[in-house]
Amino acid sequence: MYIATVALSACGGCENSLLSIGEPLIALLSEHTVSFSSLLVDRHTVSPCDVVLVSGCIRSSEEEEVALEIERTSRKIIAVGTCAVYGGIGGLRKRPEVSSEDDDGALPEIYRDVAPLDSSVAVELYVPGCPPQPHLIMDALKSVLEGYTPLHFDSTVCSDCPRKVARKASKSLQLHPGPGVPGSTCLLNAGVVCLGPVTRGGCRAACTSVGTACTGCRGPSDAILSSQMHAIHADLTGYISRTSGARQDKVEKQLSNILEVLYLFTGKDPVTRSRVKERVPGD
Amino acid sequence: MTELFDVEGSDDLGAQKVRLYPVTRIQGRADIEVHFTADQAVVEARFRGLESRGIESLVEGMPALRAPQVLARTCGTCGGFHQLAACMSIEAACGAEVAPEAQALRELVCWLLLAASHVRTMTYFALPDFALPMSDAAVKNVSGIYMIDQESVTRLTRALASINEALQCLAGNQFLPAVIVPGGVSKLPDETAISKASELLEGCEDDLRETMRLAEMLTRRESRMIETGTPLPGYYMASTSDGRPAIIGDEISAASFNGGEPVALDAQGFIAAVEERPVTWSYIVPLAVRGLEPAMVGPLARLNLGFGEDTPIAALEGGRVSEQWQHPLNNEFFFLIALACEAIWSWEKARNLLERGWDDTSSPCAPFEVVSGEGSAVVDSPRGTLAHVAQIDESGKISAYRIMSPLQFNYLTVNEYLTSVASETVRGIEISDAVAARLQLAVRSFNPCVSCGTH
Repeated sequence: MYIATVALSACGGCENSLLSIGEPLIALLSEHTVSFSSLLVDRHTVSPCDVVLVSGCIRSSEEEEVALEIERTSRKIIAVGTCAVYGGIGGLRKRPEVSSEDDDGALPEIYRDVAPLDSSVAVELYVPGCPPQPHLIMDALKSVLEGYTPLHFDSTVCSDCPRKVARKASKSLQLHPGPGVPGSTCLLNAGVVCLGPVTRGGCRAACTSVGTACTGCRGPSDAILSSQMHAIHADLTGYISRTSGARQDKVEKQLSNILEVLYLFTGKDPVTRSRVKERVPGD
Repeated sequence: MTELFDVEGSDDLGAQKVRLYPVTRIQGRADIEVHFTADQAVVEARFRGLESRGIESLVEGMPALRAPQVLARTCGTCGGFHQLAACMSIEAACGAEVAPEAQALRELVCWLLLAASHVRTMTYFALPDFALPMSDAAVKNVSGIYMIDQESVTRLTRALASINEALQCLAGNQFLPAVIVPGGVSKLPDETAISKASELLEGCEDDLRETMRLAEMLTRRESRMIETGTPLPGYYMASTSDGRPAIIGDEISAASFNGGEPVALDAQGFIAAVEERPVTWSYIVPLAVRGLEPAMVGPLARLNLGFGEDTPIAALEGGRVSEQWQHPLNNEFFFLIALACEAIWSWEKARNLLERGWDDTSSPCAPFEVVSGEGSAVVDSPRGTLAHVAQIDESGKISAYRIMSPLQFNYLTVNEYLTSVASETVRGIEISDAVAARLQLAVRSFNPCVSCGTH
């Protein structure tokens, strides 16, 4: 089969994760043909392929053109990483205007806003994460090549987190673990704003297991994506209120000063923004 | 793909340019433009960054304590180093002191990230140019090498897997070290993690040494190109401690490729000497260090500054390289051997830190108050020196932020060197596949990351 990779507006972290698969990836590529990948091979044109791994969101006229071209030439598109799936950190806010005036006008136009990949093309499979762990990318690629159902994580980060919910939780919220939270204590219970309860699992709780708050890089959990009854803001507020005993309006007030940290990766995701109970800054 | 264009607005009627797009086996999207006079002489070659994400503007107005997690996404490869520089800048602005144990873990994690990055770069980007220099594009890649020399690729990927697993044990994540937070680290490693990481690193030694021998052999094969090749212009530069390259150094040292003793600047003096030299034709903004331009940062620069006695294996390997060739190493054909040497160096540094004896009962993170102020930090990353400057307002939010990345420091050198290589290799207005490959090799030898360079 023919495989391709394309990076749009991205930091390269998803590509590093792909490359970190190592020998299993190289062996797989040797059995198939890489039809286009400026990362891996020296071919300079987008050519037809069975599956293409696309990282990054759309931030420029060139990226929009590339996205449309791969849709024309590819059978199946896998969106790799949170930028491709939700728009990623680029969606935090509009950026200032950038001049694209070359001597002969050849630089791509940079847009002030980002858009996730599926705003322009039809996506077959989504692999969120910033970056997604290598085994998740490999599983997605193999599932398309071999025709099986890929791994799906409908649980939240809390399901993988080794920390335990305490009976008496802190009523004040902060962004920093301070001198460290004991290894057995839930970060939210210790008063650290952690998005674990509202974020899709599958990352093996990489951040919370070393005492750092989850920032929601794998995007909202299935519960939030599938129902208007749920939302990142509303669910997190409810969770903190229930576990700390603090009144919901007090929790909301504390979170109101730091709203954007709830949407570091999803500020430009149309699904997240469409939830009536969300408070995405800029709305 | 190469395309031919007329250059609009040029004083030279009939001037043309050839565009090579995209540059392959690098991270990010870029092209090379070669500009010609009407009589088909090369005027200039330009490596152009075609993307821009505006990371600095994303953190403006954000709570300073969450900014490092956004700034870590400046670069997929050097993300951990940007995260570290962001934390250090915020700490400097707030006057926070990091405890020695936390500082040691930060460095340990960064050495492992540097080793992992170099092993990846060698495997996928550099090795094809050196192992299969004359091959067709269809096979000049990692799969092509895998088919003819599986063992070499296996050695590299085995080492990468071990380093990544060690990172997972110590930092929670093999790409962006969640453990590095403003004020220190969120958790110190326990005995189990230290012992597992040590075991994993011990298993890498033979693979890294064998890779060094391979790099040496492949570099020797390029002897003729080394003798006749275009020399690098300007200065090589890196963060140093006691005159030796370091991730977190106490000064920045630079020396001329033409020889002479290194000069040193402190971090403040270095940042004050940096000047932007924007160009209209690229989203990468070149940076010049006054009095030291053009400069080159990255693996070759650090290797030229020499490894210290605390890493005897790397120092021995570096010495062998200097004996066989010259000092300073001054062209693109030393790129692979610089990566291989540095992979051993960073592995050895990490191993030394693991063996230092850890006190996991000490506080990993200093409690500190976010106050208004300005702070800066300079660190060396896999791709070279980078600097951050943070301004924090009274409400604890970022009011202004500036990132200076390795490709920006290298950019004047990249284009000057690329122009020299193009002048020597391009004949007429046609660019053959071989010449296109040569131009890309010249760019690749700076280990460019366009995403980081344009941020």
